[in-house]
Amino acid sequence: MGLLRKIRDTGRVAEPAPPEPDGEQPPAAKEFGGSVQVRCVDAGSCNGCEIEIAGAFNPVYDAERYGARLVASPRHADVALVTGPVTRNMAEPLRRTVAAMPEPRLVVAVGDCAINCGEFAGGYGVEGAVSDVVPVDLVVPGCPPRPAEIVAALRRVTGR
Amino acid sequence: MSLIPAALATATGLGVAGAAAGLVLPQRGRGAVVGVLTAGVGVAGGASGVAALGGSRWSAEIPGLLPLAGTHFAVDALSGLFMAVAGAVVAAVAVYGVGYVAGHGAHGFGSRAAQALLPLFALTLVLVPAAASVSTFLLLWELMALTSLLLVMAEHRARASVREAAVWYAVMTHLGLVLLLAGLSVYASQAGGETFAALRVGTAAMSPTVRGLVFVLTATAFASKAGLVPLHAWLPRAHPEAPSAVSALMSAAMVNLGVYGLVRVGFDLLGGGPAWWWLLVMAMGGLSAVYGILQAAMASDLKRLLAYSTSENMGLVVLGVGAAGLFAHAGDKVLAGLALAAALLHVVNHSAFKSLLFGAAGSVLRATGERNLDLLGGLRARMPITAGLFALGALGAVALPPGNGFISEWLLLQSMIHGLAVPGVTTAIVLPLAVAVIALSAGLAAAVFVKALGVGFFARPRTEQAAAAQESPLLMLAGMGLLAALCTALALVPGLLGDGLDRAVAVVGFAGTHPVSGGGLRVRLDEVSASLSPLWVVAALTVALGAVTATTRWASRRQRRRMNARLWDCGGGAPTPRMAYTATSFAEPLQRVFDDVLAPEQDVDVTPVRESAYLVERVAFRNRVPDRIEHRLYRPVLDFLAAAGQSARRLAGGSVHTYLGYGFFGLVALLVVLVVGW
Repeated sequence: MGLLRKIRDTGRVAEPAPPEPDGEQPPAAKEFGGSVQVRCVDAGSCNGCEIEIAGAFNPVYDAERYGARLVASPRHADVALVTGPVTRNMAEPLRRTVAAMPEPRLVVAVGDCAINCGEFAGGYGVEGAVSDVVPVDLVVPGCPPRPAEIVAALRRVTGR
Repeated sequence: MSLIPAALATATGLGVAGAAAGLVLPQRGRGAVVGVLTAGVGVAGGASGVAALGGSRWSAEIPGLLPLAGTHFAVDALSGLFMAVAGAVVAAVAVYGVGYVAGHGAHGFGSRAAQALLPLFALTLVLVPAAASVSTFLLLWELMALTSLLLVMAEHRARASVREAAVWYAVMTHLGLVLLLAGLSVYASQAGGETFAALRVGTAAMSPTVRGLVFVLTATAFASKAGLVPLHAWLPRAHPEAPSAVSALMSAAMVNLGVYGLVRVGFDLLGGGPAWWWLLVMAMGGLSAVYGILQAAMASDLKRLLAYSTSENMGLVVLGVGAAGLFAHAGDKVLAGLALAAALLHVVNHSAFKSLLFGAAGSVLRATGERNLDLLGGLRARMPITAGLFALGALGAVALPPGNGFISEWLLLQSMIHGLAVPGVTTAIVLPLAVAVIALSAGLAAAVFVKALGVGFFARPRTEQAAAAQESPLLMLAGMGLLAALCTALALVPGLLGDGLDRAVAVVGFAGTHPVSGGGLRVRLDEVSASLSPLWVVAALTVALGAVTATTRWASRRQRRRMNARLWDCGGGAPTPRMAYTATSFAEPLQRVFDDVLAPEQDVDVTPVRESAYLVERVAFRNRVPDRIEHRLYRPVLDFLAAAGQSARRLAGGSVHTYLGYGFFGLVALLVVLVVGW
């Protein structure tokens, strides 16, 4: 009983959400209605971006409170969060992953490598940037981008 | 002139004519003529059976046909039931066989010998239940065993395993014959006559010990014919190796005669007996039901799976027969009648679906040359009709509505559950166990046939042979179609059997409970207040299925755009057929659950490369589920016999002098014994 009362008395203690990020909501994102399922694809990343994505969904940044949620299959996903330069081995799986997602769908390129191959440009195993393989709707620059920046990008998609 | 003798005479004439046609006709056209004549045997035999089920009786003595004993025939409703079943199966399988033989060469099933034997085998199947004296019965019984044995061997040139199977079958069936001969000889000598009428009369004067001896001997023999565990060893060998038409006849008509013999001798001739007889029978039935279906669940060979399923179904039937005996012993004739009716109905249902399943398996075998489910797959698209027919048969076999097996197993369960009203400690222990056995075997049967259908017919073909499969010729499909129609009829309106089932039960002196009469649409048990309307069950299922389909269609039509996407394969390459479930992998969880019973043998061989023990060059994994009962029971006997034979070889050293010496000393010893002894 004491616990229940404490919960009632304490109320909400979460900090207020930071101000809404700049930038237009991508047109396709309007159909999501504020609920966005996200599938991460590591197309050849050094895992720096992965750590920051994990940070974006941790209790500190908590991207889920804005309506973004990580899912385990592209079949369930609205948004593909692609990291890293696209390696030769991952080019076809990336195309298939995006093709497997139901429409409307968005592709978000996370990190400098995903945008322009970054450090790995010209590498023998690199096929190209993400936009060379699949159409990209949104980019998050940074090497690696901060969790807050990833959250900001996701908030542009969810519109919350 | 009644219909029965005319029909039986016609059947005999057609059977002999078929045998002659098989012998003399050239290979071209042989199959068709023999098939038509065999179908005639089936139709005539079935007609006489139906007439007997309709209430007519017939008995005759033909003294001149056999020296010394003469032949005796009698047809009543009980024999009529088995004749009708055998006749129907024979007729449909004969049609199927014409198509089956067309694709074969001059050897195997299309050979002169096999085609000459097929009508004879069919004829004996129809005539065995009509025999009414020990000598006639044994003669026909042995004729049936021999013709089926030779038919099993038909394809011995194609596969060496046929020969091994034939040896097993020959030995087992003749051990059965020896027991039967011994049992019936004792019976005839004690009863003072060898006709069934004389046996019936003479039973009363026999001591309980002799009656028990007769029952145990004959019941063991009949159990071996019915393929009951632990006398089943021949069944999973002979049925897969026989040509599929013969497998269908053996599995759907011949094994039934084991049940017929059990009912005829146990109830009709011996007039029932003490509880331990029937507990023995029930134990054997229960063991077969569970063990048979477990082995079927492990089998990857499609026909072996079906053969084990035969063992299971015969186990259920015999469980019902045993329960009937137990109830009769307790004095509850109504429940006894219900249990026996359920058992007999299951015989009919099992024959219908199992011949259909064997037919479909033969169709698959013909199209792909493959019986191993692990190497099949994808046949639904290539052989749609065969797949549909197999599915129909499987539906009957899994004992779920709306299959035909459901009705008889439901009746069987009803009789067991209501049997608890019979007072006594034995029934209170045995019947719940029997209910559990039936439920367990029905559940496992569902897994077995999901496996057979799903792995064999669905998914993608795993081998080139399966990919190149083509639909079977029209006559094979027609034969299976007849059986499918029979299955459907039995599933929808079991009342078609009408009062025939009651009459068959009444032959052994139980009150008919009219389970499947009463308008034909309902299965109603007045005595125990339970009822089932198969037609309504089917109608409700159809409506529910239709509603679900229509709703899904309607819901999906509202979608604006439909998109065809490739299967999500995690972005890697497309899944290959090798990744699909195989029969072995499907059965693996069950194998784990029943690990203690099945005792599977697993073997992992890891071969490292020569340079380093840490690098593996090759891993070989073997998994076998041996028939454990066979392993434990037969292997020691066989080993002992082989050892005895080996040691006896020393006596036969090859020297003529030694052999002459044996003769001389043997003669002297005999003379000495005679002089001293007498």
